[in-house]
Amino acid sequence: MKRETFRKSLGVRHVACGSCNGCEHEMNALSNAFYDITQDGYDIVASPRHADIVTVTGPMTPAMRAAARETLDAVPRPRIVVAIGDCAAGEGPWSGAPSAGPGAGIELQATITVRGCPPTPEEIRAALKSLPLSS
Amino acid sequence: MNGVHAIAAERFADRVEAECLTALPLGAYARAEEVRYLFLAASGPYALAHPREAEAPLRAVSGTFPLFSWDEREMAQEWGVRFDALPDARPLRGTAGEMPPAIVAQGAGLMRFVVGPVHAGINEPGRFTFSSGGETIVHLDAQLSYAHRGVERHVEGLGALQAAPLVARICGSCSAARSFAYARALEQLAGIELAREVELARLVLAEFERIYNHLGDLAASAAGAGWGPGFASGMALKERAIRLCRLAGGHRLLFDAIVPGGVGAQTLRERPRIARELADLARDIEAYLTRLFAQSSTVARWQRAGVVSRESAHAFGAVGPAHRASRGEIDVRTFAPYGAYREFAVRIAHASGGDSFGRLRVKRDEIRESLRLIGAALAEIGDAALPDPQPMAVPAGDATAVVEGPRGSEVVALHTGGDGILTRLHVISASYRNWPLVARAMDGNIVPDFPLVNKSFNLCYACADR
Ligand code: SF4
Repeated sequence: MKRETFRKSLGVRHVACGSCNGCEHEMNALSNAFYDITQDGYDIVASPRHADIVTVTGPMTPAMRAAARETLDAVPRPRIVVAIGDCAAGEGPWSGAPSAGPGAGIELQATITVRGCPPTPEEIRAALKSLPLSS
Repeated sequence: MNGVHAIAAERFADRVEAECLTALPLGAYARAEEVRYLFLAASGPYALAHPREAEAPLRAVSGTFPLFSWDEREMAQEWGVRFDALPDARPLRGTAGEMPPAIVAQGAGLMRFVVGPVHAGINEPGRFTFSSGGETIVHLDAQLSYAHRGVERHVEGLGALQAAPLVARICGSCSAARSFAYARALEQLAGIELAREVELARLVLAEFERIYNHLGDLAASAAGAGWGPGFASGMALKERAIRLCRLAGGHRLLFDAIVPGGVGAQTLRERPRIARELADLARDIEAYLTRLFAQSSTVARWQRAGVVSRESAHAFGAVGPAHRASRGEIDVRTFAPYGAYREFAVRIAHASGGDSFGRLRVKRDEIRESLRLIGAALAEIGDAALPDPQPMAVPAGDATAVVEGPRGSEVVALHTGGDGILTRLHVISASYRNWPLVARAMDGNIVPDFPLVNKSFNLCYACADR
């Protein structure tokens, strides 16, 4: 993967895997006038086909497992999975609950993890900007 | 009427149905020993209970009042409660990753399409199965539970005080309301009263949560009707409200701002700055609301979209803005006042059309009233010091508390054993109550109106799924 390939045109697709919606509030905030990550070259996209980055939240639930996999499989390669929040990192409040999995980021093998409950929009943006985009 | 009233099995359903006509039905839950149907009267919540030792099947109340449909399906699926004549006998939630089949309308010329569980935006997961004839929706089956983590079972066995940060994280959008109800249930059990300043501070936090939620709903509804500037301005205001939440309660989404025995240590520290930023925000919000509701092409999309009649609002147990937009009278803050709401006369917002426009008008008016309430409460607190949370010993027993969250009544019912250990926690969120109604609100509407009708409710999934 070459950095030039993706510069200023990274599509971000989000998949909530049993989160509490707190992380989604902060992901959505990235598009408001205060953070506006389009200025950094990121675009929240509606289809996994348009995505380069997949953000995942939540501990992963049995009900979301297949849909999350299918969404990820629909993303063209190369792609990067980013785990957002303590739940996705496998160390959130519901870790160990009867229908909570190991963390969406653990299960879907995230490249990087943004800790926090939820992480702030600044923290998410900084993490996206730090992604290892060249190999 | 207060407390818990045991009713024999053969009379139980009749009694619950009669009660639905005089009190606000909140929902129902089971535990190993009993089944409880909860109601709210002006004097507070109470329960009709049926002991389970006999295990005679109960007649399902959802045949008459569909509002209990999800509760009864959940009790049957997860607690093995046996019902006669359950109109929808499917399990409420998926098992081992498999969703129960969706209900689909059959007929010549009808088609079906499925949306979700992964949605186009940054949203929570849910599966919507539409049956439509061309553009007109004939039936919508909304199936949730993709965010079911098993939170109630998970907190069983924890100390009730220790579980508070978990309760705050069941749902990110109504965390303060749920923590408020949880704290009130525990304080009632422990028999403690809080200082007036603390109750006032809780009001401030709860109203900030309402403001940021309603602003987000208005912005999303502008987007649903295709007005970009209304979305962008609304989301910017929501961000400012969230920053004020951080300033007022120490967390952008108010997690752990309301705790058992009081409020978090970060609460209302920089009061002059809060007052200043609040005044600026209030002015800009007012300008936004005026502009938004004067945008006739946007408002025209909201009008007559997703109509809920007063009758279906009652039968489906609508709460919150969804209830008050369909000529409902009840807001828990005035119907069964608690804490600092006992000292302020909250002006309740109403609408009569039951459409998306009505729900959004209620939310608009509630933002204005919340701003007024926060200002009044801050003035009352002045520069009084806020005491640390009151220590409490949680005895064995049970308690139920209800508060008015952004989407309506937020109910927490809890049972404790020795050493203040939780033996059962049940959460009935306003979203859980209102979701079946969103599906019915779409009957006869056109497919392109789903996003804006849905956003006029803007219900949560996490606290409905638990
Ligand atoms: S990390 Fe916190 S905010 Fe994010 S989904 Fe989990 S509980 Fe919610």
